[in-house]
Amino acid sequence: MNGPADSLFRMRLLQGVVLLVFALLIGRLAWLQLFDERYEEMAKANVLRHVVLYPPRGEVLDRNGEFLVQSRECYDLMVIAREIDKRGFDTVRLCEVLNIPIERVRRELANARMRPRAPRLVASYIAKEDKLRFDECNFRGFYTVYRTVRRYPRKVGGNLLGFVSEVTAEYLKRHPYYQAGDYVGLTGVESAYETVLRGNKGVKIQEIDTHGEIKGSYMDGHYDSLPDPGRSIVSTIDARLQLLGEELMRGKVGAAVAIEPSTGEILMMVSSPTYDPDELVGRQRGNNYMRMLRNKRRPLFNRAVKAKYPPGSTFKVVQGLIGLQEGVLRPSDLHECHMGYQVGRQRMACHAHSSPLDLRFAVATSCNAYFCYVFRDILDNPKYGGVKEGFDVWKEYVHSFGFGRKLGSDFLDEGHGYVPDLEFYNRRYRRSWNSLTLLSLSIGQGELGCTPLQLANLAAIVANRGYYYIPHIVRRIEGQDSLDARFYERHYTMVDPKYFEPIVDGMWRGVNVAGTSTDAYLEGWDVCGKTGTAQNPHGKDHSTFLSFAPRNNPRIAISVYVENGGYGAAAALPIASLLEEFYLTDTIRRPELLQRIKNMNIYYPSYDR
Amino acid sequence: MTVSRFSGIFGHLDLWTILLYAVIVVLGAVSIFSASYNENSVNMFASSHFYMKQAVWIGIASCAALVVLLLDKRFFHMLAYPAYFAGLAVLVAALFFGREVNGAKAWFEFGSVRIQPVEFVKIATALALARAMSSYSFSINRPGDLLKVGMIICMPLMIIILQNDTGSGIVLGSFLFVLYREGLNKWLCIPILLIATLFITSFLLSSTALLILLILICTLSEAMMSGEWRSRIVYLAALALSSLLIWLVMHFAAPGAVTFYGALLAVTFLSFFFIAAYAYRANLRSIFLPVALFVGALIFLSTTGYIFDNILKPHQQNRILSFLGIRSDPLGIDYNVNQSKIAIGSGGWTGKGFLQGTQIKYGFVPERHTDFIFCTVGEEWGFLGATAVLILMCLLIMRLMRMGERQQEPFGRVYCYCVASILLFHVLVNVGMTIGLMPVMGIPLPYMSYGGSSLVAFTMLLFIAVRLDASTRQFPLESQMP
Repeated sequence: MNGPADSLFRMRLLQGVVLLVFALLIGRLAWLQLFDERYEEMAKANVLRHVVLYPPRGEVLDRNGEFLVQSRECYDLMVIAREIDKRGFDTVRLCEVLNIPIERVRRELANARMRPRAPRLVASYIAKEDKLRFDECNFRGFYTVYRTVRRYPRKVGGNLLGFVSEVTAEYLKRHPYYQAGDYVGLTGVESAYETVLRGNKGVKIQEIDTHGEIKGSYMDGHYDSLPDPGRSIVSTIDARLQLLGEELMRGKVGAAVAIEPSTGEILMMVSSPTYDPDELVGRQRGNNYMRMLRNKRRPLFNRAVKAKYPPGSTFKVVQGLIGLQEGVLRPSDLHECHMGYQVGRQRMACHAHSSPLDLRFAVATSCNAYFCYVFRDILDNPKYGGVKEGFDVWKEYVHSFGFGRKLGSDFLDEGHGYVPDLEFYNRRYRRSWNSLTLLSLSIGQGELGCTPLQLANLAAIVANRGYYYIPHIVRRIEGQDSLDARFYERHYTMVDPKYFEPIVDGMWRGVNVAGTSTDAYLEGWDVCGKTGTAQNPHGKDHSTFLSFAPRNNPRIAISVYVENGGYGAAAALPIASLLEEFYLTDTIRRPELLQRIKNMNIYYPSYDR
Repeated sequence: MTVSRFSGIFGHLDLWTILLYAVIVVLGAVSIFSASYNENSVNMFASSHFYMKQAVWIGIASCAALVVLLLDKRFFHMLAYPAYFAGLAVLVAALFFGREVNGAKAWFEFGSVRIQPVEFVKIATALALARAMSSYSFSINRPGDLLKVGMIICMPLMIIILQNDTGSGIVLGSFLFVLYREGLNKWLCIPILLIATLFITSFLLSSTALLILLILICTLSEAMMSGEWRSRIVYLAALALSSLLIWLVMHFAAPGAVTFYGALLAVTFLSFFFIAAYAYRANLRSIFLPVALFVGALIFLSTTGYIFDNILKPHQQNRILSFLGIRSDPLGIDYNVNQSKIAIGSGGWTGKGFLQGTQIKYGFVPERHTDFIFCTVGEEWGFLGATAVLILMCLLIMRLMRMGERQQEPFGRVYCYCVASILLFHVLVNVGMTIGLMPVMGIPLPYMSYGGSSLVAFTMLLFIAVRLDASTRQFPLESQMP
């Protein structure tokens, strides 16, 4: 059994086993080192720390060069627990110098000791002055990191400008550019122009050891980059007008929007109630934000672009224009109105005025009955063969005025408003309905919902006699010659410009001759306007006013909407009128009216209950 | 006379082996330097650095090698058994008086020097094995002799496992390599390997499945050995049928009283009487080897669960579970292996260069100068460097086997093979664990890992082989036994 041949075989076999073992080891080594790329990445992840250098965020100016948003430098206080003086340090003194609560420092220090060599954030929003004092004191182990936070010199335009906040986990998932601890604009201008304002972060790559201690720079800084500061933005807002608008809207819930008709630039956009944007900056941000969230009047809700309001009588302007274009109405057509419009048992009430009346006077005095005739004539136009087809035509017209859809402004969270469609009524009335059923639409009631921005855009359309530029909030971006092309394009409605003159004339008469809007009269400025009073289930009527001035070459188009403000002339009209006066003349000659409106507080049982 | 004899010895040393040894030791020292170098250290030559200590140990190891070379080769033959029993005594002493390091109670402490007796017990066991297997009347396939050899291997193995130093204990199992070379029937080697595998994976299988596998392994290997297939198949069928019958009957007679496992076990033990009778009638004593293997393995396996739950420390349990892929936890128990794979894997073709390995330098690899020294090689010298080290190790092992083959006496041959098998096992397990092929066992890489007792013991282990070989070449015509 144990002969030389057997021994030789056994030796060879064992040699084979040895070679096999080493082949196995070398093969596995080759796989790890030559083919599997993951380990190189993992080694880098182990050893490299990317230190972010934050750029200052871009600033926002108003159309006259005044700062709306400034970037203020502030600092994050960091600590490396191991480097703290072994003999201890004066915690109380540190807290006094930096104005931070001592409990917080103690808590964060306890956490920092878990990984004693790794930098850890102790407190954010350290003011520059505090930081300078801190630098004089020399607390070993503590250091500061440069950040910027927002500051609002005018304290206006909370919802308009939006706020900046630390990124949330959910946002991080959708936007790989951001990392935990970054700030990001979440609403308003801050979010719409986030990429412009934020700039680009720089990075410094450091090598660290297994304890998180910094060992030096990676490849002598070859891959490091400097931060690229955010660019500033000139907005279309007029800060002084915005401030006046916010003051006038105080105590009321609603919105006011002013547009420059010749460009589509938004001069003012007030959503009321508003808030002091500085409240959403700094250490109290969280508390303030929660308080606002709990406020039943919802100050964080940007009513100017999101709320859906019934337009009320201001919508008669649209009905008239559609009627003219469709040929079912001529400006000279007379209709009877004796305190209302009645067909069978259905009745639409109106107020006292002379009868019969023509289109111009109907616009000026806001006659309900007149526009019931017009609306029914549009829907029941024999040309289309039926009310449903007529309704579709009407809806197309309304759409072309910018209702029921987003206008495409640079507000990311712009609302659609609402214009009901055929299906809606078919479902609601089980297909059996006619023009009489929808009668409330004729005076802008019923299911219609418009955003204040859409209404201001309507004012701009009428002011321009038939077209509009998409309303926008930004005038110029630093380092960029122009804005998005869509803001330079004229958008025409389906109504020919020649049909606008009688309507404009009616709106002019309503202010300057006789009608519902005479209070909006400004000497020498040829103001045109249309009041609206919208019934609603929440209480008193909503008060709204649509206006532009001057009649020729208009400089401002404005829409004011005051929830539960009563008649259009009661709340919305004076606000709009004062704003126009201020914008056009730079002064206000009606101080009593100004005071009265500023002090007007409307009671809102639906919010404050 | 004496002078000339010694000079004669030095003239016949196997220079290849010594050269390979020297290169590997130097590479190890360089790696330890790289793994423990600290650029901020004030005094580069302070004796507290691992690389300085290792330099001292290399000096001591060289002296030990010299002493070994100066001893007469009969001395090793003579000393084999006393050294073996002294080793056993020291192991037992360590069990009671030793110091616990990393959960293993396997160290003696003298001042600042810690000695791990296991390293020296390997030498003593190898010598004892060589002595036993070189005795004149020895035959590997005689059950009595095999039992003796088994005892020599298993006694220290048991004590070492009791010390909770499982890794070092299992090293002794690698002597199977030697036994095979010395003519052990391969149908005993294969079932031993299979049972070892079963032991590692035993908690993956139910006890019934384990029992069935064991019976199959032992019976079939016995059939392979004797070439008698029919009777063994009949035996298996009879076992299966009768145990099934008993189980079914009991199942209806007294449900739940007897499990299939119990029935099979009872039938198997009953069958031993028949086996014994058969063996005496056919005069087939070798049949008792598989039976003994079966009983031993059964006792071993049935205690596995107990060992796993009660004797293995949680970290060892976790290592095994993690290696088998039962539990994965990259930040916990997998951390060592994961970081080690990252370090080696990021080396690429040529590595990052001396002192440039970021994973090593910045301390991501734990135990980087001892058990995970191979990471330094892999990261800083890349695939080429690591392969070169492995090839050196492979050459050394092959050289040892070659030396064994040219010995004129079984003593020298068995000893050389013992050294080769110990080195092979260490390299396989140590390198294997750094690249995720083996579970983490905590045994050093010979000649490269930092550690005094390991370096000195491995040096002596190797140089005894060189010494034996030298005298073979010096006196080629010397008779077989001194």
